[in-house]
Amino acid sequence: MTENAAWLNEQIDQLAQQQAKFTDRAFWLALKQLIAEQDRRADQLGGEVDGRTWSPDQW
Amino acid sequence: MKTLVLVAHPHLADSSSQQFLKESLPATGIDWEWLDGQQAIDVDREQTKLRQADRVILQFPLYWFAAPASLKQWEDTVLTRKFVYGDHRYPLADKELGVVVTTGMPGKAFQRGGAEGITLDAALAPLAAVTQRAKMTWLPTLAIHQFGYLNESEKLQLVIRYQRYLTQAQPDSLTSRQTWFAERLPGMIDRLPADQQAKGKLIASVFEQKSADLDQLADTLALIKEQSDD
Repeated sequence: MTENAAWLNEQIDQLAQQQAKFTDRAFWLALKQLIAEQDRRADQLGGEVDGRTWSPDQW
Repeated sequence: MKTLVLVAHPHLADSSSQQFLKESLPATGIDWEWLDGQQAIDVDREQTKLRQADRVILQFPLYWFAAPASLKQWEDTVLTRKFVYGDHRYPLADKELGVVVTTGMPGKAFQRGGAEGITLDAALAPLAAVTQRAKMTWLPTLAIHQFGYLNESEKLQLVIRYQRYLTQAQPDSLTSRQTWFAERLPGMIDRLPADQQAKGKLIASVFEQKSADLDQLADTLALIKEQSDD
């Protein structure tokens, strides 16, 4: 996990902990999971872009 | 989106899972109905509710590999042949139908060779057939296994899984999930106390930026793929 991602997770955890309502806490924590999913997908897509751009077949 | 939730459970007040799901309902867009709590079924009223809904959720505990009797009674009374397809008008066509089912056994029990020896899809086949007959769209089932064993973190996740199952666009892709959260974030930020709003807005802006970055990456990749296909 990057430093930025760790920092963002901390912000979301803090906000979630401050919510009195269970369903509100659930929302922010689920958003944290979705952001982690975004990061994974961005890594995968970025890797695929690199791979396809540097494919020897295309040289 | 209007979602009609029909709950079949003979002892609703005693069910911790059903009470939990009731507390987890999204704040708007939901018409929640407890089938066992009605003295008599008002067919016209039920059919009107079905016509008005975009998505219908059948929610129940699994009793002997089927829904409790109240759901079958509701089906047999409300889903008349004439209403569903008899006059070739199919008023339920293109609406979505989803099942939220709770089970006392773990998920792994519901497979060939498992303790129950039957998949949930197989057990729910009659409901899927009704869905097909009505030209509705069957959603992948939301199964909640052994609710009583869930820990706090799993329960927190279940709240949003359930809310998304009731109201999120299908298919359940990353794009659909992003849209669902993006639509709800402004309202959730408004609900925050004044001293927490800045943090909420900051988190939302990072999320939105990541969504935009992903769109851009997907576009770039599509372009590269298009060129390499020449």
